[in-house]
Amino acid sequence: MQKLTLARVARLFVLSLAFAATAASAQSTIRIGWLSSLTGPLSSAAIAENQGVQFAVDEINAAGGVNGRKLELVTRDTSGEPTKAVNLAKQLAFVDKVDFIIGPVNSGESLATVPIVAKAGIPNLIIGTIDELVDAQKFPLAFRAINTNKQWIEAANDYALNVLKKKKIAVIGDTSGYGTAASKVAQDLLQKAGVTPVYVALVDPNKTDLTDELNKAKAAGAEVIMPWSAATGLLARLFNTRGDMGWDVPIVGHPAMMAPTVRPLLNKPDYWKNAFAAGYLSTTYDAKGKLPPRTQALMDKIRSKLGKGEIDFMFWWIALGYDTVKLVEHAVKTAGSTDAAAIGKVFENTKEFPGVYATYTWSKENRNGYPDHAIVVNIAGSFKDGSFQAAPR
Amino acid sequence: MFVALITGLATGALYAAAALTYNVMFSTSKVLSVTTGHISMLGGIFGAWFISTLGWPIPVALVGAMGIGAVFGLLTDFIAIRRVLARSDEHLWLLSTLALATMVQQAAGLWWGTEPKPFPRLIPQDFSAGLGDQKYWLPIVIAILLAMALELFYRRTLYGKLFVAMSEDAFAARARGIPTGRIRSMSYVIAGAMGGLAGFAAGQLTFAYFALGLTLTLNGFIALAVGGLGSNAGALVGGAALGILSAVATYFVGGEYQQTISVGLLMVVLLVKPAGLFGSQSVRPV
Repeated sequence: MQKLTLARVARLFVLSLAFAATAASAQSTIRIGWLSSLTGPLSSAAIAENQGVQFAVDEINAAGGVNGRKLELVTRDTSGEPTKAVNLAKQLAFVDKVDFIIGPVNSGESLATVPIVAKAGIPNLIIGTIDELVDAQKFPLAFRAINTNKQWIEAANDYALNVLKKKKIAVIGDTSGYGTAASKVAQDLLQKAGVTPVYVALVDPNKTDLTDELNKAKAAGAEVIMPWSAATGLLARLFNTRGDMGWDVPIVGHPAMMAPTVRPLLNKPDYWKNAFAAGYLSTTYDAKGKLPPRTQALMDKIRSKLGKGEIDFMFWWIALGYDTVKLVEHAVKTAGSTDAAAIGKVFENTKEFPGVYATYTWSKENRNGYPDHAIVVNIAGSFKDGSFQAAPR
Repeated sequence: MFVALITGLATGALYAAAALTYNVMFSTSKVLSVTTGHISMLGGIFGAWFISTLGWPIPVALVGAMGIGAVFGLLTDFIAIRRVLARSDEHLWLLSTLALATMVQQAAGLWWGTEPKPFPRLIPQDFSAGLGDQKYWLPIVIAILLAMALELFYRRTLYGKLFVAMSEDAFAARARGIPTGRIRSMSYVIAGAMGGLAGFAAGQLTFAYFALGLTLTLNGFIALAVGGLGSNAGALVGGAALGILSAVATYFVGGEYQQTISVGLLMVVLLVKPAGLFGSQSVRPV
């Protein structure tokens, strides 16, 4: 009887030790849920962002973690599908019980997941650009790390109206949710500036030819073409049509125009000239051909992990991914815990946090952390080693 | 407006080629495979890969693209059709072919990448040719040639007549000693080669893009339904009608209504003439 009791006590002791170890282990990690569209039609940005996220996690863990706690990255591939993103957001919130959620990558997915993450009371770093994704009242723990769509459009409008001094603008969006919304915002902002677009069109992102659209824009007297679409195939067709028509009208618009994947789709390399797109100060060379110090430092650190030679994709995606994890580090360090309410307070009071992609500031009312002055306009065909040249002003 | 007609006709020719591919597979199996558009997608991306990356001469790359299509056609029959038809009379092939199409698209995305890539020029020609550019007329010529070749095949060859026999009554064909399983596999190989050829010919129009398949599957089906299931002339007319209508609708109404008008055309035809413009409803005497 005594033997039995001792055995039971020993077993309970071992079990409780194991339980305590598991609990301590769970306590010791900071779990970051990462909703990323690593496969599917919009994977290019996500794959690059993932490299930045992973690099930051490894770097912080190699330095001992945050307040002695290691970061644990829980990556979920949404394939760019909102329905899948919703299921995975629920899994991260209620099964994996993560402390933070970064993403999803695309605005359409984020529209579906942000309310769910907000309801679960988990801090959410937003990396989609459409305006509806943040709301201090409805989603108090959602903080946007990327710029807003409006910031891109305002920069492009400003360039067309005040630098190129053109008032006759043709706005061409694609028929996706993003393209339609962006085209509408562009028209509204132009109207506010006292300019009515001379031509507006929405086209299917897979449309094989844009001759009709450009002929109509030309007939309407357009002096600038402004495309709002992230579909590189469509943008390349726009360049090709303009070039084949022999019409040297400036094109000013979405950053995807500058993507290196556009270059091989062009009928002639010259077709990329006289085109300008909204971009970022952090990935723009200055007059001496230098990048901002923080961008250069990250580039030097991460380059060996990206393969040999020059960087052949937009470096800002890596910088954004890297910054989201650094923002988690900043929040936990400052709050001293992963308590969601305390983390929310830290982000609300964050002023001028020096990231690579940008310097972030949020407040009680403002959940958009990206500063206006860090948006610039780049020359579309100037891609070199992940960054761009500034458009002439 | 004339530009809209020509570009619509070129896109419609690609839909017509997809409809012809449907027809060949349907004739022997009574299956409308969701993989139809994906065959052309593979023809496009493998054609670009053979020429641009491997440096193959264009004729060899063309044969290679058709070969890839043929192999995929055979795999479709082997993986998604044969067992399903043997075990069930229900339309479970819809799910099995959808699953295979999804897997192929995912695999293509992982290997080829998710951004469109260029398809090389097949014939030396300056880009200033306007509507005379090969990217417009190559798909049109190929669709017409495919339809003519199929008609000759059905009318002039023994195997073609076996296809027709199976199309009329597969049970009777088998009772008369026709190896229906082998003939069905052959039809999938031929359909695959046709789809690969169409994807190759239209590569400059569509770019080499992994997500092209589902668009072609849907629009090829609409073209088929409009023209009439089983009719090669109907496939050509249905494809051309769909392509031109979409282009004209975009020209006059705007791109946001393009899909609605395409599917609207399908609804109208199904309501007014369910068998399609060139189709005939078979009546089985009982």
